[in-house]
Amino acid sequence: MTRTRATHDRPDARPDDRSAVRPDDRPDALPDGGGTPLDAGGPGDRPWGAPSTAVPPETDPSRCPYCDRPFPSDRRRTLHLGDAHAAALTDEEAEAVAAVRDGEADDLFVYHLKVVAAIVLLLMGLAYVYAFVLS
Amino acid sequence: MTRSRPARRWVVTAVVAAAVLALLTRPGAAHGGTLRLSGSSPQVPFWLVSLTGGGVIGVSFLFAALVTDHDLIRDVAATGRRLGAIPASLTGLARAAGVAGFVVVVAVGLVGPSTPTANLAVLAIWVGWWAGFTALTYLAGNAWPAINPWRTLAALLPAGDRRVSPRAATAISVGGLLALVYLEVLSPLSEDPVLLVAAVLAYSLATLVGAVVVGDGWFERVDPISRVFRLYGRIAPIQRTGDGLRLSLPGAELTRPPATDPRPGERAGSAVDPEPAGGSSRADGGTAAARSQDRGAWWARREGDATFVVALLWVTTFDGLVSTAAWETFARAAVGVGVPAHALYVAVLLVGFGVFLVGYRLACRLSRRTGNSYVSVPEIRVRFAPSLLPIAAGYHLAHYLDYLLSLLPSLAVVATDPLSPPASLPVLTLPGWFGGVGLLAIVAGHVLAVAVAHAVAFETFTGRLQPIRSQYPFILVMVLYTTVSLWLVSQPTVEPPFV
Repeated sequence: MTRTRATHDRPDARPDDRSAVRPDDRPDALPDGGGTPLDAGGPGDRPWGAPSTAVPPETDPSRCPYCDRPFPSDRRRTLHLGDAHAAALTDEEAEAVAAVRDGEADDLFVYHLKVVAAIVLLLMGLAYVYAFVLS
Repeated sequence: MTRSRPARRWVVTAVVAAAVLALLTRPGAAHGGTLRLSGSSPQVPFWLVSLTGGGVIGVSFLFAALVTDHDLIRDVAATGRRLGAIPASLTGLARAAGVAGFVVVVAVGLVGPSTPTANLAVLAIWVGWWAGFTALTYLAGNAWPAINPWRTLAALLPAGDRRVSPRAATAISVGGLLALVYLEVLSPLSEDPVLLVAAVLAYSLATLVGAVVVGDGWFERVDPISRVFRLYGRIAPIQRTGDGLRLSLPGAELTRPPATDPRPGERAGSAVDPEPAGGSSRADGGTAAARSQDRGAWWARREGDATFVVALLWVTTFDGLVSTAAWETFARAAVGVGVPAHALYVAVLLVGFGVFLVGYRLACRLSRRTGNSYVSVPEIRVRFAPSLLPIAAGYHLAHYLDYLLSLLPSLAVVATDPLSPPASLPVLTLPGWFGGVGLLAIVAGHVLAVAVAHAVAFETFTGRLQPIRSQYPFILVMVLYTTVSLWLVSQPTVEPPFV
């Protein structure tokens, strides 16, 4: 279900990728493989807290340097940095977040065009069926 | 691709969407006027009603997919204001009313008239309580903890404190719920006043024994009736928090863990407005192992809630299913082949629950796949289960609203003179277009469910595209379920055969 990523195949990795570094002062680190949903830290306005995770075996996920949460890609991890640890980011990380968010915004725009097209088609289709049935 | 300004994109999208809406009437509302739940011939065929319902759910998901701003979603879910504490006198009044009602129902059931529609016990239980009070619970707020007569009576008895594991609690509540619904379907039991009161007294004995053995946790965690009201109450705009009542948007509480059972380590305030001073919920601060055990138990209770929600959704469906002509055909065929009638009903009740549970779990597993996420499947199951509640509530309203309104005058008249009611009782005849209200209730329940699941997805998954993609399996299931449930509700109502 999830692709195994070779450690060298990280197109989104920045030159100063911190995923290999484990700073000692991370009080809200998850144990390996994801702990219970309540062990991890995170912003106080998240009622459910950080979700527990389950990494498929023999996968090497990108991990968040602040809370050790695993992600299937560096891009996703960078988005998480912006979502959950915005206050604690270094300048390079903030730049990476901005860049990935920009790319996501473009993807989101294309997706929204498809959504609007689907809405139009669905409603027009229903209207035609009604017109046909009620005539 | 060149970078476009987000504001311009939003304006374009909004204008297109508005134009589409303005040009096309909403088919769901336009045809509702010609349908009646009691089965006169409609202008719009049943299949088109179902198709429209499914289409509306699909469109509501598509519109939700246009809302991707984390802050907006969080703000909407957190909107609300404190209403202040509940006055103790009001609680006392509610308790007294609950016990008085219970005593009156038992008395009138035993000595009152034997015609079900003239007996206050039958009317009060099915029309007043099961239809009316439940609707009030999910539309306004859950008052059951105060009104519950068994809880008031149990307070007079010695309270035990035997611990019930969350799994056992869930097994008892789900089993109890299935049993109660089965009894409700058995018409001799539900319509004959004496038999009904006998069932009420049997339930009273069981629940009081449970309350004595388990203590206060019985009504909070095990008793099926209290659990139903507690879960339905989470849809309502008025919520009970650690410090009084809070008014928020309907369904907003479903995006959070329950305020009345906060996560260990949080104070017992609303999850949205936590107390400014932090602190452990254990009096002694607790060791790390004890805290971990608390969290494990809390998580197990949430998993139990998820299972119970699926059971609740199934039993509301089952209630409607056994009143359809299609079921009658199937049941007659099965009994004709030699299957015992009661065994058939019990088997369908259990198998249907299994199908719903497996279906929900499968949808959660697929959600992890379509969202391409490492979030664990139990996490998804627990977080998204509450979003199913508005579906059950919408179905309950569609099923019971015309029944409630048409028999409410009878209830009022019989209540004034329970032991010798007049021979002809007033019944409200509803206008022909009223069937449309039920259909709207089902669709509204599903739309609210889509909105709640959308908010939870943004809470759980990362970024703005992944949460939307994670919803595909749920939306597919919801569209199918809406289609089937609209078909069920638009069928003429038939008495369930053989029971």
